[in-house]
Amino acid sequence: MKTAPGPLAPVPFNIPQAFTTTLENGLKVVIFEDSRLPLISYRLAFMTGDADDPEEAVGLTSAMASMLTEGTENYSSLALAEKIERLGASLSASSSDDFTIIAASTLALYNSEILNLLAEVLFRPTFPVGELDLYRRNMIENLKFQRSQPNFLANEQTARLLYGEHPYSRVSPTASDIEKLTSEALSEFHRLQFVPNNAILVVVGDVECGTLLDEIRGHFDDWERGAVLKGKTVETVSRQDPILTIVDRPGSAQSNIVLANLAIRRDDPDYFAVLVMNQVLGAGASSRVFMNLREEKGYTYGAYTRVDSKKLAGDFEATAEVRTAVTGESLKEFFYELDRIRDEDVADAELADAKNFLTGVFPIRAETQEGLTNLIVSQELYGLPEDYLQTYRDNVAAVSAAEVRRVANKYIHPQKMAIVIVGDAGEILPQAKEYASEIEIFDTEGNSMDIDSYANDASAEASDFSGAWKLSLDFQGQKVPISLNIQQDGINVTGTLETILGNGKITDGSVRGNKISATANTDIQGQSVEFVINGTLSGDDITGTISAAIIPDSLPFAGSRSA
Amino acid sequence: MSHNFNLPPLDIEQYTLENGLRVVLNRDDAVPVVALAVYYDVGSRNEREGRTGFAHLFEHMMFQGSENVKKAEHFQYIMKAGGTMNGTTSSERTNYFETLPASELPLALWLESDRMRSLAVTQENLDNQREAVKEEKRLRYDNQPYGQIFDLIAEMIYKNFANAHSTIGSMEHLDDASVEDVQEFFRIYYAPNNAVLVLSGAFDPDTARQLIETYFADIPSQPLPPAIDVEEPREVAQTYKAWEDKLAPFPAFLIGWKIPKRRSPEFSALYLAGKLLYDGESSRLYQKLVKGEESVIQLFGFTDERRGPSSIYIGAIPKPEKDLSKIRDTIMTEIDDIAKHGPTADEMQKLHNQLINDMVRMRQSSQGRAQNIAEFALYDGDPTLINSEMETLLSITPDEIRSTVREYLDSENRSLLDVVPAGKG
Repeated sequence: MKTAPGPLAPVPFNIPQAFTTTLENGLKVVIFEDSRLPLISYRLAFMTGDADDPEEAVGLTSAMASMLTEGTENYSSLALAEKIERLGASLSASSSDDFTIIAASTLALYNSEILNLLAEVLFRPTFPVGELDLYRRNMIENLKFQRSQPNFLANEQTARLLYGEHPYSRVSPTASDIEKLTSEALSEFHRLQFVPNNAILVVVGDVECGTLLDEIRGHFDDWERGAVLKGKTVETVSRQDPILTIVDRPGSAQSNIVLANLAIRRDDPDYFAVLVMNQVLGAGASSRVFMNLREEKGYTYGAYTRVDSKKLAGDFEATAEVRTAVTGESLKEFFYELDRIRDEDVADAELADAKNFLTGVFPIRAETQEGLTNLIVSQELYGLPEDYLQTYRDNVAAVSAAEVRRVANKYIHPQKMAIVIVGDAGEILPQAKEYASEIEIFDTEGNSMDIDSYANDASAEASDFSGAWKLSLDFQGQKVPISLNIQQDGINVTGTLETILGNGKITDGSVRGNKISATANTDIQGQSVEFVINGTLSGDDITGTISAAIIPDSLPFAGSRSA
Repeated sequence: MSHNFNLPPLDIEQYTLENGLRVVLNRDDAVPVVALAVYYDVGSRNEREGRTGFAHLFEHMMFQGSENVKKAEHFQYIMKAGGTMNGTTSSERTNYFETLPASELPLALWLESDRMRSLAVTQENLDNQREAVKEEKRLRYDNQPYGQIFDLIAEMIYKNFANAHSTIGSMEHLDDASVEDVQEFFRIYYAPNNAVLVLSGAFDPDTARQLIETYFADIPSQPLPPAIDVEEPREVAQTYKAWEDKLAPFPAFLIGWKIPKRRSPEFSALYLAGKLLYDGESSRLYQKLVKGEESVIQLFGFTDERRGPSSIYIGAIPKPEKDLSKIRDTIMTEIDDIAKHGPTADEMQKLHNQLINDMVRMRQSSQGRAQNIAEFALYDGDPTLINSEMETLLSITPDEIRSTVREYLDSENRSLLDVVPAGKG
């Protein structure tokens, strides 16, 4: 068959409504009967998280959550782990910016046992001093490791630029925050924070609703109400101009790029339009920025955009890890795509593809009990409508091209973005500085660096690169001769590149101080290949690198002017 | 109590097309989703010396287009239909799989049949994917701390070339490959009689059979691929190696043992012993090393399951200033304890519940079922093993675990790889 076959008749996917009730003490209970397999999942979620940490005790919520399973009145950390794993079950607790969640899952036949253990860690944790010491040491060790990861550094700066004094600006507590944690503080915080009128219990599984509700009441009816302690509300940063923040990580082979601005909260009515817009623009491997930066240009292994919507605020980000030599070119393509989705209506077919993907993968996400539980939990936690899951696909399908364009204009602001790049600052600065009016550079420990020490050559007068250059390229240990013919007009450069594989044309190269950067569009056996040339002049000698999508590493070259 | 656990058998229907394609249908209408898994009986074990990396290169080639599907269109077709997909390569097989809304079954079958029949093996695609593989090797192996240790230790454990060399292979070998080599590889290994097709999820079996007949029946079969020898002596090839890793921030080590093939009683006993040693917070080594001695940042272990001689690994990244040999002594002391006394009754109960839990959870996703069934169909010629495998594992006794650990996990016949950080600073 020559063409793709059409679909069979669609099979409806109906998610029934969950049973919902609220106990007298304010605990909301949501039960979803799912008898596909003999399994049960629990989520006990509190509507406060890391963002609600007291100002003088950052990291308290996440430490408290992690330590719940490290010792209780009736079990040591080891005894608890043995007890849970002997059931073949799991029980753990963790926190995020907005929520603190105790999660448990088990074979249905051990339902009562796991519910007992969930109540044990919820009501009777002891926060043993020895276990807390180990937690603190491991966290500090882990933090050191994190600072070697470019992603962590990029996220840290992005969060600071977007959220300022808002608690969402913290991607991790600092070592000194962690050192301040005490067992007493955890106990006190636990007593104040874990109140039923700030919590939701979601159960999905092979249960009979009425029987389970009786059992739940047995555990939770006596739990006493209390005051709900929320964190301070703080304004996010209102940015009027673009800013470029570089984290200097010398020797990096890649630049980690993040372009970001504030966007929407999770309960915003524009959520579905933004979801579809983001699918067209960059959420997946058939989205625009991926097709452009990876498939067409070969700058990167992957380029994406993402919408991170939380309870109090949210942001839009475009991200890619690109070869250092094409940092500037990558920014250019990103901004091209950000402008395009704002300026032009998305075509009908492209819109339909994006919506088909979002509606099609929805049942796949609900296939496992964990997947279904997560969908129900986020509906409850973000206060989304009761029929959110039932109407999800209709809401996606209803988004129009006009709405995509409207929300692109409303929530993507190319002229006011935070541009964060982690990599070799000396190489990045000349390529990226034209994109921002304000520039700052930090080292990997977060210390502010002097921009002038990176920018000297950029502000210097343009050196003269004109002439014919005989160069030797190092290709896997072999010396390959190439030549460059350069014509220079001020800082603008044109010319030709000659290689044994084929010749290329340079149309828009530039000179900054004693550095040249240029792209040669070269025809190799009928294929068009872009070679990116970066060189540094010293007298009549030049050294530098050439890179292209078809070669994995940039190749060093050296040579001199012949005429 | 756990022994009486009653899990209804999965609905398994199997048959073979005239061209030799083995088909397994597992109908389950719980969610309107259908999963497809195509397993080709070719992995790095089939590669000859001087020709490593071919099986994996081929996995890339399978996304480069075929007679009626243009380059990169495969994943676009799937995504536009609301599906997910991928492909992977191991020593044992190369697999391709997708999950889609149930109504898109014809699309999935058409896409898989088009590339089984008519893959576009051109010079341009080959050159292009050679470069993509190099990029992948750089990203996933060369540029990652500890990224190469699993390939290195396989070379230390196995003496037989078929087992010892890595799946990513040699970039020089890939450079040497001609279009003719690759076309020949496709003809031999990507034949319908060298593959298994599994469907799992919501579909009407009659419709599925008809569609499979329409799309796959006219793909010609090929002579059987050359037989391979994966036999190994009991001894490991090399017992010690120190490896300088430029990217590793901390020292680390990895210990590996050579053990009998998957689904042998010995392999199964060692798989269970491994779970007791390194799986979860109540495991023996987690409690000794992460908790008790507080000497390691990360502890890990796993079994590498193969149709021939297989292996089991335990590794650790110690905290700074900790004595690596003392950590290894602790590991060997625990292993010796199991070799002498066997697992405790509590540990056996834990194993039983975990096995049941794992099996039930695996059944939740149609893709999980499809892949598990495909392995039994391809490796063992019997997809219904998915319904009896849990009982087989549950029947292993503490004494079998004890004696197998004593026989195989000794401190002499094993490979030890030390990772030495060699970075600038």
